Amino acid sequence: MDGSASVALPAERAVGWLASTDHKRTAAKIAVASLFFFGLSGLLALAMRAELAQPGLQLVSDRSYDELFTMHGSGMIYLFLTPAALGLGLYLVPLQVGAAEVAAPRLALGGFWLYLCGGLAMYLGFLTDSGAGSDTWTATIPLSSSTHSPGVGMDLWVIGVALATLGSLLIALTILLTIVRLRAPGMTMLRLPVFSWTMLVTTFMVLASFPVLIVAMGLLLAERHLGGVFAGSTGSIAYQHLFWFYGHPVVYVMFFPFVGAVAEVVATFSRKRFFGYRALVVSLLLFTALSMAVWGHHMFATGAVQNQYFSLTSHLLAVPAGIEYLDLIATMVGGAILFRTPMLFALGFICQFLIGGLTGIVVASPPLDYHVNGSFFIVAHFHYTLFAGSLFGLLAGVHYWFPKATGAMLREGIGKLSFWLLAIGANLTFFPMFLLGFDGMPRRVPDYAPRLGDLNLLSSIGAGVIALGVLAFLANVCVSLRRRVPAGDDPWGAQTLEWATGSPPPRHNFDSLPPIASYAPLLDRREAREGAPA
Amino acid sequence: MSRGSAPPLAWGCLQLLLGAGLAAFSEFVPALLFLASAAPVLVLAAWNRARPAGGEPRLLPAISVPVVVLAVGAALAALGLTAGLWLSLVGAEVALFGAVWLGRELSEERGRAP
Repeated sequence: MDGSASVALPAERAVGWLASTDHKRTAAKIAVASLFFFGLSGLLALAMRAELAQPGLQLVSDRSYDELFTMHGSGMIYLFLTPAALGLGLYLVPLQVGAAEVAAPRLALGGFWLYLCGGLAMYLGFLTDSGAGSDTWTATIPLSSSTHSPGVGMDLWVIGVALATLGSLLIALTILLTIVRLRAPGMTMLRLPVFSWTMLVTTFMVLASFPVLIVAMGLLLAERHLGGVFAGSTGSIAYQHLFWFYGHPVVYVMFFPFVGAVAEVVATFSRKRFFGYRALVVSLLLFTALSMAVWGHHMFATGAVQNQYFSLTSHLLAVPAGIEYLDLIATMVGGAILFRTPMLFALGFICQFLIGGLTGIVVASPPLDYHVNGSFFIVAHFHYTLFAGSLFGLLAGVHYWFPKATGAMLREGIGKLSFWLLAIGANLTFFPMFLLGFDGMPRRVPDYAPRLGDLNLLSSIGAGVIALGVLAFLANVCVSLRRRVPAGDDPWGAQTLEWATGSPPPRHNFDSLPPIASYAPLLDRREAREGAPA
Repeated sequence: MSRGSAPPLAWGCLQLLLGAGLAAFSEFVPALLFLASAAPVLVLAAWNRARPAGGEPRLLPAISVPVVVLAVGAALAALGLTAGLWLSLVGAEVALFGAVWLGRELSEERGRAP
């Protein structure tokens, strides 16, 4: 130090933050961007639920309603849950494996900017004469052809999806390379924390399936401008194969990282070592490989896929899923459970995802799928997996790791309030949709028979309660950052390596590493201390 | 098998097995898509085995503006596919500028490496 002080100008600070290659800052950028897109997509959902609150309201035109559900679904999947899951991995994986950095920090930074540009491009469609994308989040052919959906807005959607997906692919590749090549000495693959294992298998799925969507979007753009790409009676089926080859694995990309987060939370707040670690590792490999083999169940109703194969593989998913549930529950059995906010969200995930998973068995069976296909039953099923499941898993992780990332504790009282609002809101919103779907209410239409009005009103009230829950969470973040309660390095008495460093971690993550003899080095150290003679 | 190649190899092989199962059920073209999708993970496993990480310290920049310029340029060039050739050309130019800048940054980094 020479005694002189250098002060960074605001512009320099902004560039320093926006172009930083530090994986923690890149992950923070992803978190901010994905929260922004979550807010936008959530507002679209509220507009939809306002339209559906009673039959015959028609607050928006049919065309606008198409844009609302398309951009809501697209925003939540391409721009919120997928990047948020990968962002969580980008922040935590290097810390959990004892690395000073990620393997390819520039790749992750470039991935973030491609994702951001893609997301903005998708939403720019609202400013065009033709409106935003309006052909569902799957952009099924021929609905998304230039004949049926002319205009720049849909083109922007297609290009935006391709860019955002490419960005996510680059981020995932960075995480994968970090796990495979930058683990600390002693951190063997069978000593990876559970969350890092879930990120590893997630990146396998990303690497195998995301390039297919990018190709599909390129072909769709060519179809819209040149024609003849998805022509004829088989064109639509060919597009569906390409899309769903991505479309089903992405559901698990938005699921497994949160299983990992929940597993870490459950072990920490049960004060126990995770039960069945090796069985979990095998089940993760099996589950994610199988999940690549089930895309055809989205196409049962087309009559153009081998139903027996896809039904068999879809049902087989219940086996590894059962192992994971058994491990989570067995970890809690006999533990001294602490019902702190992260644990409440983890329990919410476990219970509510079960409903999504069990109703998944219904749609994995072709005869039952024929009945509920295209109905609100499907909407209820995937919202129980992605909202009541994945979002609760994400919030379990956010409440758990927030002290590590910021150095400040979130408020327990507001955290519990937001949990109960979200849990009540989610079930009030999505459970009636099962009944509506079985009663024949089709999805993606802005009006319905008057006899379905009561359940729809209940669902719309639930959406309002969810909005209150989200506001409570945001208020918690603001209050906790403004009036900081210092967290310390390890406020929860946790087990894995990221808690061995400062909160927030320094630029290169660790000043020193503890000995690594298992996936839970901090728990090993505590047990050694407690077991040592006084 | 060591240094992290076993999980991607195992996963890639499971993919091949499931793809072969689909081919046996006579969905040949989708099965090809499935079988090909295992390739990136298997290639990564093979590359990691052939060239294991050395573990030596790496010199990395705190910030990398050229990466941002390259990514934004590429995004603009892609958006030009619908907004017009002018935007594609502007985007390509920005991306090229970013790529050259990134090349210089990498070259300087290598020069300063211990």
